[in-house]
Amino acid sequence: MTDTMNFAPDYDAPIEYMRRTRDYYLALGYDNPYRWAHYVDAPFQPMKKPLSESTLALITTAAPYQPDKGDQGPGALYNAAAKFYTVYSSDTAVDHDTRISHIGYDRLHTTAKDSNTWFPLPLMRKMAAEGRFRLAPRFHGAPTNRSQRVTLETDAPEILARCRQDQVDAALLVPT
Amino acid sequence: MSLVARYLERNGIPTIVMGAAKDIVEHAGVPRFLFSDFPLGNSCGRPHDAASQGFTLDLALKVLESAVGPRTTVQSPLRWNEDGDWKQDFSNVARMSPEEVAKKRAEFDKVKQTALAQRKQAGVA
Repeated sequence: MTDTMNFAPDYDAPIEYMRRTRDYYLALGYDNPYRWAHYVDAPFQPMKKPLSESTLALITTAAPYQPDKGDQGPGALYNAAAKFYTVYSSDTAVDHDTRISHIGYDRLHTTAKDSNTWFPLPLMRKMAAEGRFRLAPRFHGAPTNRSQRVTLETDAPEILARCRQDQVDAALLVPT
Repeated sequence: MSLVARYLERNGIPTIVMGAAKDIVEHAGVPRFLFSDFPLGNSCGRPHDAASQGFTLDLALKVLESAVGPRTTVQSPLRWNEDGDWKQDFSNVARMSPEEVAKKRAEFDKVKQTALAQRKQAGVA
């Protein structure tokens, strides 16, 4: 077996979202581009015990459905009113109606009809029941309010504190 | 979200990020990242496709367990569709008419006002 010269088209590579977004807002007439978080280093903490003996927490950017906050989909336009501004936590033993209308997901190519694509709690519950890991008693919602300072100084410490309360050994984070 | 992953990791909790915006997550720099080359909103697999979702979560757990150092990115082998043309649509002005651009600008002005008012109300503006 060998690779052929039949290469994929150049466009069929991961989207350069930062460049695409910058160009898009420039074309719309906004010349004050968002500055994405950027570090040259990254921390690393090895797993302390096997996954099957570890308590795993889910952290999501999805919002709980709020009937009084306008259209939240599926298929809703971007809905900034549905954003949330403090960390929330909920019981992992029961089902939750979470939405992503407050986030800039791909509204052309996905409909946001199946919450399992951004909120894998049901599947995590199933895998935990099969012994793959232990599911933490709560999941946590991380605000996406574009203030990186609030994320760094308020939200991240709050999520850490709640994970520690639940004796969490590892975390699965799902941004949308 | 990458900032939260980094914070948890630095304070003793190993993390795995499941995401679809490769450049943004890697620009921030996270410990472990399972990248799905899917439209934003589908970090955990294809809609209404249990096999795809199961495969994706399983792979994320394997990356969590086996990564040997920071900035580990694994790309899921799953494809959204065969031709990948969807990637040319996202926020691509070249594929929009002047009328669409004007409409988007009006929408965005409205969104900005709502978000600013909310941030002020929440005390984070």
